Amino acid sequence: MAKGVLGNDPFKRGAASRPTEASTPGGEEKAAAAESVTKKKPGPGGTASAKAGGKAAAAKSRKHEGKKTSGKAKGGKAVEGKKGAAAAARPPAQASGTRPPAPQADRTEAADAALSPREPTPSQQARAPLVPQTSAHDADDAVLPLREPAASTPLTLDSQAPGPVNDAGAPTSKQRDVDLALAEALAADVAEATATAVVDAALGAEAGPDAEVERLMATEFATELAEAAVEEALERGAHAQSLEQEQELAAAVAAQVADSAARAAIDKVRARHATPDAPAVTRWERETSVRVVLTEEADTSAVEPEVELPDATRDEFPPGRRGPLSLVPPPATNAGESSYRESFPPESGRGEPEGIRPLAERAVAALSLARDIAGQALASESLARAMLAMGGLKDMLRAGLGTGGGANLDEYGKDPSLVERLEPVLEFLYSQYWRVSVQGVDHVPPGAAILVANHSGALPYDGLVMSMALTRERPDLREPRWLVEDQVFHAPMVGTLFNRLGAVRACPENALRLLDEHRPLVVFPEGYQALSKPFGERYRLKRFGRGGFVKLALRTGAPIVPVAIVGAEETSPLLGRIPASFLGLPYVPLTPLGPLPLPAKWSIRFGEPIGVEDLAPEAADDLGEVQRLTERTREAIQSMLQSLLRERRSVFAG
Amino acid sequence: MDVSRPGKGRLRIAVTGASGDYGRLLLSRLDQDPDVESILVLDVVRPEGDKVEFHRVDLTRYDAESELTDALTERPVDALYHLAFLFGPIRNGSLAHELEVIGTMNVLTAAGRSRLPRLVVPSLTAVYGARGNNPAMLREDSALQGCPHSRFVTDKVEVEGQVRAFRERHPDMRVLVLRFAPVLGPSVDNPATRFLKNPVVPTLMGFDPLWQGLHEEDAARALHLALRADASGEFNIVGRGVMPISGLIQQAGARPLPLPGPLFRAGLHTLDAVGAGTLPVALLDYIHYSWVADGERAESALGFIPLHHVKDAAAALKRS
Repeated sequence: MAKGVLGNDPFKRGAASRPTEASTPGGEEKAAAAESVTKKKPGPGGTASAKAGGKAAAAKSRKHEGKKTSGKAKGGKAVEGKKGAAAAARPPAQASGTRPPAPQADRTEAADAALSPREPTPSQQARAPLVPQTSAHDADDAVLPLREPAASTPLTLDSQAPGPVNDAGAPTSKQRDVDLALAEALAADVAEATATAVVDAALGAEAGPDAEVERLMATEFATELAEAAVEEALERGAHAQSLEQEQELAAAVAAQVADSAARAAIDKVRARHATPDAPAVTRWERETSVRVVLTEEADTSAVEPEVELPDATRDEFPPGRRGPLSLVPPPATNAGESSYRESFPPESGRGEPEGIRPLAERAVAALSLARDIAGQALASESLARAMLAMGGLKDMLRAGLGTGGGANLDEYGKDPSLVERLEPVLEFLYSQYWRVSVQGVDHVPPGAAILVANHSGALPYDGLVMSMALTRERPDLREPRWLVEDQVFHAPMVGTLFNRLGAVRACPENALRLLDEHRPLVVFPEGYQALSKPFGERYRLKRFGRGGFVKLALRTGAPIVPVAIVGAEETSPLLGRIPASFLGLPYVPLTPLGPLPLPAKWSIRFGEPIGVEDLAPEAADDLGEVQRLTERTREAIQSMLQSLLRERRSVFAG
Repeated sequence: MDVSRPGKGRLRIAVTGASGDYGRLLLSRLDQDPDVESILVLDVVRPEGDKVEFHRVDLTRYDAESELTDALTERPVDALYHLAFLFGPIRNGSLAHELEVIGTMNVLTAAGRSRLPRLVVPSLTAVYGARGNNPAMLREDSALQGCPHSRFVTDKVEVEGQVRAFRERHPDMRVLVLRFAPVLGPSVDNPATRFLKNPVVPTLMGFDPLWQGLHEEDAARALHLALRADASGEFNIVGRGVMPISGLIQQAGARPLPLPGPLFRAGLHTLDAVGAGTLPVALLDYIHYSWVADGERAESALGFIPLHHVKDAAAALKRS
């Protein structure tokens, strides 16, 4: 992807990389940083600098992508890259003379500036044409106060390698130096921006006398580590790397290392608060070491900063950690703490003069290990799903309590967003817990239809399951609704919750309106009696009300589809009734698991529709006709129930 | 009888209760309506406005009816807006009854004697009552079950009965009853806005009925539309969409506090008995069951399409 972007018009690159940034929702700060890098360039450098900016941005965005796909093979290694890059050597840019060390405050400012999109100042623009194309060093000196080494150096490259495509042949040693310097300088910028962003994010909320110092120290430290790591990475992979590859690699490494190192630094600073006698940051900085292994591959996107560390826990870093704004909220300290641990391998045997230190350290180590384990567990897919489900259940509880809110309810009270959030739970119930099997769903005609089903179980899950079955098996139909008798509909919590999930109070007005909207309408004519019958009478149909659904069908011409549901009775068998008139309920059903259902297997069978086209709407007033149709429907359902029950071998296994 | 027929001169409109919320909303619109020549205000206080002709009438007085008839027949008006209603229960229940029921009786008698072409009376969707057996959408022909605990709502139901009887007696007149959903907005004050403006709003635990809300601008627009609509009868004037009461509370910038029903009821009754009650006890019903009215008829017959969603109406409450 980076290749394709880079291969085009240099002016377009900065812009071309933005969609990628936009597509990485996690890294807002970093995207901003990358963008600012892009924006800073046009001043001194003209086309070539635009290119460099584009590259930086591209490298950035690729890094984000790396984060996104972190669950894959690269994941663990890249994280190691971060923490392992704790090499303490001085920034490489210095050695090549491109970038003398700036004071701390300056650096932070510059990094801050890099975070906020900024137009080039007039002086920069004025200076731009004066920069001699041949001398990279001069150019660097010229823009040094503005810290834009990466912007100027590409000029030389442009003269050497006209296109971004590597057709310049083997680079000379001088070119190599320049390339390296360029890549490192770019990486330094990236590292600073990242470090500042991370530090600001982590320390932003904290205020105190030392906050500013801490911030500076943490940023400085992270940047240095990152630069060291970049240098190492570049040296190792020096041969056969093109400039773009190097730059991308450098930027990627720098950003990752700075990210993790900044976290580490923050931890460090905090730890120092806890134990005032702890060594200065510089101390453990020296003790860390890095080994960068570059895989030799043609495609730059495959370059992985692979850092090996003497740490057994390296595989425990879940990929979700790498993004500061990832789905699983990262415990902000993991990588840092492990490098912290690494730096003092034998914790007990260190022989610190202070007695409190080993204890605190051990505690910190244990804590971080626990966090790592928890983090890994959280990052695994099934647990993420479980977390989502928990979130949905929490929303469900809130909705039931009556504090759910919601602004997108339809006039019947269904909350589509709640249903969406509960989808993991519903999906689990439907396909794994109850393993609903559906037969003959093709019998449901399009448009308005009255689905008449047997009501069963102490808790009326059947309406919900019917609507789920219809939405899953027949997506061509409009969204179905089910009618619920008053006793359930107006029960506290249960009624509210069912209403949000799509239940509608059973009354002719509502039914007519729903059929008018050409929806399949699920009705349970037995009503409340069916719910309150003891378990011993399961699957024996009660009286079908007063035939309201038949009148409805006759008036609207909607066909009646008999439906038999098996499994609902065993899902929540009624063992007893607890009187609860004070709650506004006739009773509270006593079921084995309380409100939770049992994992009985469900089977739903849709029968042949019973058409009423040949009957006039006036037949609704003919009680005999209504009675006849009611009985016909009832018999159809009862016979389907019998056959389903005969076919069923086991209640729970099906 | 259509007042907006061509060839007719500019409109002359009479308004009672012009200083109330509805009156204020309507008058600012009528002031800007170029077709409106003058506004005859029949009230106890004179409102602002260039077109206003003030005629002092106290609807609670025994001679109100003859004064009204005189004022209306002296120079014929094209429409009478009877807006002299309360916006929430007041402690003096008998005064409220005098003003609303007896006042309306006087106005209706005067309107009948002066052969008015058009009468507009506001009402509330609360007259349907919040009942467990309400359908999801209440249409205009649903029964007005009211709220037996609330004298305020009972009075409104009685007024509606009077107006319906009047309409049946005078089929040549256009009598429009606008049943407003709770009007929400920065400048109106009624039990719903008072309820939602608390920082913590008690609700009934386990219940979250659907509410509707009408932005005050929409309310003003509906009142103005009634001046020219070629229709008669009742209309539900509701905002776009519905919201559960908890969502409405959150939109208004408050937090819902679910209380168990019996506790809430007892607390509210105690407060009411002590006299410190800021919330009417009858509101309990309305935060228990849904009372969603269908605004379809207002849209088709009156041409009223709400511009504001309930959400915005509630949010407007927060901004004030």
